[in-house]
Amino acid sequence: MCVWVLYAQSLQLKFVALAGQQPLVLLDSTYHTALNEPVTFRNFLFYISHIQLKDDNGHEIPLKNEYYLINATDAASKTIDLPVKPQHIASITFTVGVDSIKNVSGIQTGSLDPMRGMFWTWNTGYIFAKLEGNSPESKAPVHYVTYHIGGYKYYENALRVVQLTIPQKQTVHKIIIGADVLAWFNKPHPLSIQAHPICHAPGALAMQIADNYAQMFHIINVE
Amino acid sequence: MKWQITIMIIVLLVIMATGFTIHSSKPTPLVFKIPPGWPQPTYNFKENPLTVQGFELGRKLFYDGKLSKDGNFPCSSCHQQFAAFATYDHNLSHGYDNSLTTRNAPALQNLAWQKAFMWDGGINHLDAQPLAPITAPNEMAESIENIIKKLNDSPEYPVLFKQAFGSKEINTKRIMQALSQFELMLVSSNSKYDKVMRGEASFNLPERLGYAIFKEKCASCHKEPFFTDFSYRNTGLPVDDVLQDMGRMKITGNSADSLKFKVPSLRNVAVTEPYGHDGRFFFLINVFDHYRKSMVVGPTTDSLLRNRLPLSNYEIGQLTAFLYTLTDSSFLKDPRFAPPGYTITPPFMHVH
Repeated sequence: MCVWVLYAQSLQLKFVALAGQQPLVLLDSTYHTALNEPVTFRNFLFYISHIQLKDDNGHEIPLKNEYYLINATDAASKTIDLPVKPQHIASITFTVGVDSIKNVSGIQTGSLDPMRGMFWTWNTGYIFAKLEGNSPESKAPVHYVTYHIGGYKYYENALRVVQLTIPQKQTVHKIIIGADVLAWFNKPHPLSIQAHPICHAPGALAMQIADNYAQMFHIINVE
Repeated sequence: MKWQITIMIIVLLVIMATGFTIHSSKPTPLVFKIPPGWPQPTYNFKENPLTVQGFELGRKLFYDGKLSKDGNFPCSSCHQQFAAFATYDHNLSHGYDNSLTTRNAPALQNLAWQKAFMWDGGINHLDAQPLAPITAPNEMAESIENIIKKLNDSPEYPVLFKQAFGSKEINTKRIMQALSQFELMLVSSNSKYDKVMRGEASFNLPERLGYAIFKEKCASCHKEPFFTDFSYRNTGLPVDDVLQDMGRMKITGNSADSLKFKVPSLRNVAVTEPYGHDGRFFFLINVFDHYRKSMVVGPTTDSLLRNRLPLSNYEIGQLTAFLYTLTDSSFLKDPRFAPPGYTITPPFMHVH
């Protein structure tokens, strides 16, 4: 009974890692980027925060800010239960990354614990999103492709806000959101693995890749 | 009669409740003293209130090899008290598996007033600083997960974390906050210079002449009372062809910051040799000679040093006398900062 009540009171977000239209398969599948470069992925993670839901009238549904680390290799991390009762939702907005205040306030716990490996120790700051793999086009050691994207300072700000509109008017229990890794290479800044196999620091390249991955989300289904 | 009994019971309950709070043993607050005339610290003590138990835990962690991969490289292996918590006599420090660091270990003192850490200022919070040396493969080479495991497996640490933070949980934040509590207390403000400023002592002639020269030629960067203005400057050290260390530029990505490094504090300078971001100057005279003779003036060299820094032998003599007044022997020998269990500071030890 208790479990049922809790379930009924929450609205679920579910993230699905995709490569194009297909579910992302790590390690065993080779994909081709927009520039037709072959690439295999090993690791795919990103932070989601400042989730905002708006109802049919455009009113924001109050929600406490939390930081979620979505990890393609960790099934539990891909589902977020928001303490909101199922209702009509017109749109969802969230930030990809970790806001500046958490980047300058020492050590955090939980999903923001530096132990999660999403924290630069030598140039303090969170890695907002990580995509790692291999490509024969990469001239980096062992043909690595590693994109660690972050940057909270104003001149290297890689925080991106994503807004998705819910297509149908219905009571929403669950929103399934696709996150397409191939979008990292696509637009608005086509990314060549040969030219840039590595991005490990905030700056111009990181901001461009953040522009790209801000486009990786779309709503697959609403239940 | 009934109301009297009620009052008695209430009084008894209050007494019992008070007994309970005493037994739940809250950590004992530790006072952070701001030396007279110094500004308010930068560190936010509200986020990490100093306590005796937190400080003692930080002290134990600082001296504990468990924080390194093979147990041989505690924080104190590169930060030795007798060297004002720099590495004595080492240009670069020694790390895990016969490795070398790429920069000279700085003295640890007056950290509560520092806004950014490391020679390039890349770390923006004292609590986040230890993560860099702990995880660097050429320093302590350990992971936070392993450290938490080792600390949890030890018989003593869970209890010490409970005493300091209220529960036995050991996490990244608590480890870092405990280390900060120890490091924040490393205040050096009792050198001869400080005593002179407080009217408790007086300079001898060379010291007084040296102080006047210092104020004229050095103090714009090595600003009192910290003897640094915490800025980043290129003082004309040619880049080492192996290290290729571009300093601050690595953090900001701005070519205007090429070869800029943090102005080091000159407090305890007589015991923190070697000098320079890569420790290339083994003696003070090498630093003076650099400024007056060997500086390489390039596009990002500091505007105050475009014509190098002319210094006569006479001036160097007086300056040296003054710089020696910045040695704070009470800090270097303070038993509170020695390894836990030592009642007197350990003798000079050459560990690595």
